[in-house]
Amino acid sequence: MPRITRWFIKSGIIYLFLGILLAFLSELPFIQSGSLLLPVYWHMIVIGWVTQVIMGVSIWMFPRKRRDRKKTETFFSVASFFSLNAGLLIRFLCEPFLPFFAENPLAIFVISLSIILQLIGVLFYVAEIWPRVQSKKKRKKRSN
Amino acid sequence: MPAQTVYMLRLSLCYLTLAVAIGSILLYHKVQPLHPGVWALLPLHFEAAIWGWFIQFVMGTAYWMFPRRLEGDARGSILLAWCMVAFFNTGLLLLIAGYFPAIEFLKLKAVGRAVITCSILLFGWLIWNRVVSYRNLKH
Repeated sequence: MPRITRWFIKSGIIYLFLGILLAFLSELPFIQSGSLLLPVYWHMIVIGWVTQVIMGVSIWMFPRKRRDRKKTETFFSVASFFSLNAGLLIRFLCEPFLPFFAENPLAIFVISLSIILQLIGVLFYVAEIWPRVQSKKKRKKRSN
Repeated sequence: MPAQTVYMLRLSLCYLTLAVAIGSILLYHKVQPLHPGVWALLPLHFEAAIWGWFIQFVMGTAYWMFPRRLEGDARGSILLAWCMVAFFNTGLLLLIAGYFPAIEFLKLKAVGRAVITCSILLFGWLIWNRVVSYRNLKH
């Protein structure tokens, strides 16, 4: 299993744990968060866990672009991991407080940064995996 | 990797990008209100992420990676597999179109979900016998 896959999966497990912890905490009667924590919980599970596990496993299991390519970390996969996780971290730390800081220039800047990082993370992953999604025939032709 | 999987995986990557793009608009709208109608994009964000991205990606990968049949076509009927891909993505497009208020009267959401149901049935039909182990097979 390549190092980048291990990073994606371990980071996914941490988000899964944090997601369920958040769901548990929001059920406690003395924590009245209303629906503030709900989007954080959903995104921890859906992007933090499920999407990151899919990303990690596909980077590991999908055939290389060319048969002779070594199984090493590419720039796109590493950049995707760091960019996506930095964006998610900023998002999860800020999102519950956004209703109190709407139209605040600093909040706009921080959220814009998170959005850009998440978008770049996903686009880098697409750039990594798109050329590897190919039929056997095409792959053979590329390798020759 | 069979051609059906190539189509499903590439389309799922397109839906992932779409879901994240819509999600970005919604997140930005929380901190800097853009338009009162922006929240109408929320169900599109869900459908694109859940059906377009996860489910399609998992179906495409399962169709490719599950053990192949020992007799006949390795992955079952190729025609049915193409129908599965076509139904799934047509259904998804109809479902997404159904959220546009101007054409809501056409009940495209219900039609879309019905077409996706047909695709899931085909997927089940194609994959059911491939959920198998050949470890104890006598030669």
